[in-house]
Amino acid sequence: MVHNNKQTADYLLWGDTMVFSSLVFLFIYLPPVLLIYHIVPLRLRNLFLLVVNLIFYGWGEPAFILLMVFSTLVDYTHGCFIGKYRDKNKGLAKGFVISSIIINLSLLGFFKYAGFLTGVLNLLPFFTIPTVTIPLPIGISFYTFQTMSYSIDVYKGDAPAQKNIIAFGTYVSLFPQLIAGPIVRYKDISHQLNHRKETLKGFTLGVRVFIIGLAQKVLIANQMGLLWNNLNIASNSNGVLGNWIGIIAYALQIYFDFNGYSLMACGLGNMLGFEFLKNFNYPYISQSITDFWHRWHISLSTWFKEYVYIPLGGNRKGTKRTIINLSIVWFLTGLWHGASWNFILWGMYFGMLLILEKFVLINFLKRLPVFLRHIYALVFILIGWIIFYFEDMNAMVSFMVNLVKPTNGIISHYALTLIISYLPLLLAACVASTPIPVKLFHKFKAYTLCWIPEATLTTIAMALCTASLVSQSYNPFLYFRF
Amino acid sequence: MRMRKNNSFLKNLTAILFCLFIGLMLLLFLIFPKGHYSSNEKRYLNAFPQLTLKTVFDGSFGKEFEAYLSDQAPYRELWVGLNGYYNLYSGRNGVSGVYSCDDNYLINVPINTNDGLTHNIKVLADFAESTGISTTLLAAPTTGYIMEDLLPLNHLPYMDDENFKSIYTNKGDMQLIDIRSTFKLSLQQGNQLYYKTDHHWTTLGAYTAYTKYCDALGLIPTPQDSFNINTYNNFYGTTYSKSALWLNPPDTIDVWTNKSNKNIRVKIIEADKTKAYNNMFFTNRLNDDDKYPVFLDGNHSVVKIINPQSQGGRLLVIKDSYAHCFVPFLSEHYSEIIMVDLRYYNQPVSQMLLSEGIDSVLVLYSVDSLATDKYIKFLR
Repeated sequence: MVHNNKQTADYLLWGDTMVFSSLVFLFIYLPPVLLIYHIVPLRLRNLFLLVVNLIFYGWGEPAFILLMVFSTLVDYTHGCFIGKYRDKNKGLAKGFVISSIIINLSLLGFFKYAGFLTGVLNLLPFFTIPTVTIPLPIGISFYTFQTMSYSIDVYKGDAPAQKNIIAFGTYVSLFPQLIAGPIVRYKDISHQLNHRKETLKGFTLGVRVFIIGLAQKVLIANQMGLLWNNLNIASNSNGVLGNWIGIIAYALQIYFDFNGYSLMACGLGNMLGFEFLKNFNYPYISQSITDFWHRWHISLSTWFKEYVYIPLGGNRKGTKRTIINLSIVWFLTGLWHGASWNFILWGMYFGMLLILEKFVLINFLKRLPVFLRHIYALVFILIGWIIFYFEDMNAMVSFMVNLVKPTNGIISHYALTLIISYLPLLLAACVASTPIPVKLFHKFKAYTLCWIPEATLTTIAMALCTASLVSQSYNPFLYFRF
Repeated sequence: MRMRKNNSFLKNLTAILFCLFIGLMLLLFLIFPKGHYSSNEKRYLNAFPQLTLKTVFDGSFGKEFEAYLSDQAPYRELWVGLNGYYNLYSGRNGVSGVYSCDDNYLINVPINTNDGLTHNIKVLADFAESTGISTTLLAAPTTGYIMEDLLPLNHLPYMDDENFKSIYTNKGDMQLIDIRSTFKLSLQQGNQLYYKTDHHWTTLGAYTAYTKYCDALGLIPTPQDSFNINTYNNFYGTTYSKSALWLNPPDTIDVWTNKSNKNIRVKIIEADKTKAYNNMFFTNRLNDDDKYPVFLDGNHSVVKIINPQSQGGRLLVIKDSYAHCFVPFLSEHYSEIIMVDLRYYNQPVSQMLLSEGIDSVLVLYSVDSLATDKYIKFLR
């Protein structure tokens, strides 16, 4: 079969940082970090975390540590001033908030969008400026959003300004969620920064969540990625059904990739005594697009809702303003995912669907049988993933045509052979994207000896993940680019 | 009371095992001696990356360290094997590039492109026409095509029939020896024509092709009972390495020696160095991990086989490694055979034809090589 079994680690060529699903992280970085963290006295734990955070971040691109230190110092200083003037001089405090936002957005704009922007300007007639290519510092989309939330939360009085620069640095650079989220709002974590409690129970919970996330990433997402790649290269001849299964495989890849990474982040957080909010809530069981965005990348939609949509007036200023506000939010959401037209289109696509649902479809959907609502939501989610995947518009359109063009037949022998060999994993992935496994687990939890099968399963999962990582290291984590 | 306490501690067994696991892996990684060469992959393993301020700051140390770690992971082969069996039993037979088949056969999956075939055949045909020397083409069918009955139910199709069709169309004046039906027939008689753990044909397979070659050229093949057959055990070939299914049993490798063929001389020529031997079989190579070079010492740029006893002419063989166990059978019929491997030999072959006084040419490749080879196009 054409499955490529690459021996070189893809992410080494492509991403430059330590990812959780790498041997370096699991077996070199993590053991001493966990051990020392739980040995050092409480008051030194934040300092220790700060140091290992920076090692983690700088592993592949040490130069960007400076950027992070700069970001930390600037936002710390701003936070102090905002806290100081918040009650005495509202105007001045507001000025500092704006200044903080401008600095953060400038960093993000420069590193993430400068190349795209020069490209766009060059499209205009009589406009030629040299196109710049700036390497994207990993996680910048995540930590700039976190530091902005800090300034705003302090200004709004949702959290006190952090006086301790080490604690603040720990927040900005916290390695579990540093490179791929979830985006932790400052107010959700401010108390934990100085008053968290590490317990054995929490640690065990963390390990379990971490292993589930690792298995989702390594045993499901990577394999679905291979299936999708092998189907995508033959999309002209796969047949209609072959291509639909291809895009389903991609949908499963991206979900388990991202959810796996979020779970690993939450699990690591638990091991260190933190509690992060859930980032995904079974998005593929949604009954509408509105429902989907309440379940997909929750920390991002919450961020945009809280720091953009509501400040713009939300839905309180009439239908027209609501539509404009939603459009702005979804344009930005698309742009956040990447400096490319297809991401903007992707954002606008969902923005449009959400507006439609809110004002037109809502009553119609309510009357639809439940299974039709599921199908409706899934079809539009899948079309969304096509827009998300193809940066080249021609390829995007031609793939969409191949999804409905009956002259290609239903399914080619090649696609069928490939899909049959992935069928057990494909089905497992579909089941794993529903709440069924967790429901089973909770049923099971009532039994006194449930720790035996639990420990067995997690150890087997660890062994299979290690086996997979050692042997193929096919590991391009999709969300790093954002 | 004590019991209950124990029980509640054991509730954290997941975490205990996890910590033990990652801690032990780190410890073993630190204390285990590091490997230099992987015989399964035929490559040198990554060594500890250069550690300087520069490599740390440009990030190259971090990048290379993961490659190093992945190469030097404790019990690496065990993990790779576990992954191989996991893939197999979770339905993805063939994901490694090898199908695990009935009767312990490990067979390469079909190649996914035959884009090069037409052009390669045309280059060979043009070459044959320009030299005017009678040229024979022998293409070894793929294992999967011949042994289709053993393949897993869910497998991709082998393109041999299509490829042979294209060879017939483009072969020009070359005489094609099509051994497909001969092989299928021989297989039905219970002969093992291909290795179970390697992509090559067995010596018996090569002998079967040799008899067909003799038929086509009007030669009388040496009968099977004129050979001394020595069998060597524990041959693990290329498809074994690729599959990582370490529990698969090994092959035996047969070396057939012609009793009457006493004065054979072999010259192996690499660049401007020539080494002379008086045997076609390099039994010392049977101690290596890869035992296939027992035949003519494996891949070399030019190999000459001289048989002073023979009254036959001078043959030039343009070939891949399928020729190594085939050509010894021909030594009976030619006073001199020159094997050229275009992967290593980049001088004009046409000049060699003249200078060596060649009177016939054999082109011997597997069909897969003909469809994918990147060097045939440089033949001149």
